[in-house]
Amino acid sequence: MAARLSLHDVSLHFGGVRVLQEVSFDVEPGVIFGLVGPNGAGKTSLFNCISGHYKPSAGSITIDGTEVVGLAPSRLARLGLARTFQHPALQLEATVLQNVLLGGHTRLPGDPASWSLRLPFTGRSERDIRAEALELLERAGLGWAAHLPADELSHGLHKGVELCRALLMKPALLLLDEPAAGLSHAEVEHLIETVRRIRTEEDITVVIVEHHMGLISALTERVVVLDHGAKLMEGTAAEAQSDRRVIEAYIGKDAADDAA
Amino acid sequence: MNRFSTLMRNRWVQLGLVVVVAALLLYAPLVLPVFANQTLIRIGVYAVAVLGLNLIMGYAGQVNLGQIFFVGLGAYVAAYGVNQDWNILVVFIASLVVPGVVGLLIALAAARLGGLAIAMVTIALPIVGVPLAKRLSDFTGGSQGTSARFSSAPDWTGLYNDQWQYYIVLVVAAAAFILARNLVRGKYGRAFTIVRENEAVASSMGISPYRYKVLAFTIASIFGGASGFLYLVAVQYTSPETLSFPHSIGLVIAMVIGGAGSIAGSLIGGAYYVLVPQLTNAIDPSFTAISQGVILLAVLFLLPGGLVSLPRVIRRLTRRRTTRSPQGDSPQTTPAEPPPADAAQEGPENTERQIRP
Repeated sequence: MAARLSLHDVSLHFGGVRVLQEVSFDVEPGVIFGLVGPNGAGKTSLFNCISGHYKPSAGSITIDGTEVVGLAPSRLARLGLARTFQHPALQLEATVLQNVLLGGHTRLPGDPASWSLRLPFTGRSERDIRAEALELLERAGLGWAAHLPADELSHGLHKGVELCRALLMKPALLLLDEPAAGLSHAEVEHLIETVRRIRTEEDITVVIVEHHMGLISALTERVVVLDHGAKLMEGTAAEAQSDRRVIEAYIGKDAADDAA
Repeated sequence: MNRFSTLMRNRWVQLGLVVVVAALLLYAPLVLPVFANQTLIRIGVYAVAVLGLNLIMGYAGQVNLGQIFFVGLGAYVAAYGVNQDWNILVVFIASLVVPGVVGLLIALAAARLGGLAIAMVTIALPIVGVPLAKRLSDFTGGSQGTSARFSSAPDWTGLYNDQWQYYIVLVVAAAAFILARNLVRGKYGRAFTIVRENEAVASSMGISPYRYKVLAFTIASIFGGASGFLYLVAVQYTSPETLSFPHSIGLVIAMVIGGAGSIAGSLIGGAYYVLVPQLTNAIDPSFTAISQGVILLAVLFLLPGGLVSLPRVIRRLTRRRTTRSPQGDSPQTTPAEPPPADAAQEGPENTERQIRP
């Protein structure tokens, strides 16, 4: 049940600033899709439009054919969209397991009254989701940290915890916002393996916003390059890296001429 | 210390403790003097109010300065019901439902505005509530207030009034605490906490911050109503003074001193709310206000987690001192990632949990 994501002429203006201009692309179900571009190209803004945290000024975004522009992020989450944040947003005083369990929220049944009365099904579903969370942590190599407070973990491990939290939502579409930012070389290698494993184990579409070209070429089947809020090109990571317009966007026209 | 904490984690030890505490609570009013019983009753009354406040403010992080309004509303509804000769169960339910509905309506409007709107609206509640209670004299008895005698001990019990009232308060308060504890332990506790800490994350987890603020506020209002019912059980009289603004601030202070975001802290908060003014008044009435301020500041600086965090803080201090040195700094390593530099900070706590293959 991996989701299909389609963007059609998505534009975003903040006052007079045009952050995104008529961006369109399709993400086929089950692929790993990259969203790249130099700093300030509008990648994260586009990402926030998809996740519902920004509302595009114009255009349409559909997930499996359902128009999602204007839906609250919490509604989108219930439609099967999960995301991670550029700066891992964890509850630092809570344990790692508690953090991950948050991802199970929409999958836990019952209203406040039945949880207050501890009806048997609430306890059962809590135990099940807990076991699932522990297994996700175990598979991510974080089982040992499950009962530690999150603030005892490094930045790199926080990203792993956040990923587990998103996966516990059983998403059909997973958005990763700069997953490699601030990671060491070894951690990036580990991340690449993890994302590959997720894609083989789960039926899921993954969209990655990233600067790290190594990660993009290792993982993605298709990329869209953004520059100044507009789509520059679409193709494979290798095509993007050899595309003259992309090189110009990254290092400037003169430098690109010199390199050529 | 370690042996003690493993002992405390044993299921049977926990169960035994609960039985002992329950037995003590049940037995106490039969032997204590009337004044002590009345004090315990008042602690129960206000602990329930602080508990509700803790759900909306301590857990969901929404400043609520009007909790006393719902206590007063619950008391007035109960008094009205009693004077209309309603069945006592109907009176009890009405004193939960009416504040709950009023709280729901207020939260539906206030939570939309975001920011400090909830705090501002809740300040208005007791300020509007007092003159309103004076005006609506058909329901409230106006400035003189209204009395409702209904909690005298029935003859078949052979109990004195204070003992009977004690048992009513004990049953309702215990139920409130158990329900609240269950609620915050799972799905809803996590949701409230993330709404407090990071609304963007909450919404990406499928938790609508708006809906959960409204939910927490409504539950807090219901607990406020329950506290109001208990207040009437204890005092058998209520007046506009019951819901005046300073009392509301007193509840917030009690919650902070007991421990925001803690169920047990609410009980401590209730005890603080009742005992400390009693104590300072006994020493010197002019001493009350200043001592309250000093205690609040001391707790804020020394124990930001409230009195309930005292054992935890002491444990951390003693552990650091005793087991810090030899093996305290061997951090765990994983194949892929280098160990976090700060992971060894809490030395002993870590080594205990390092059961990695």
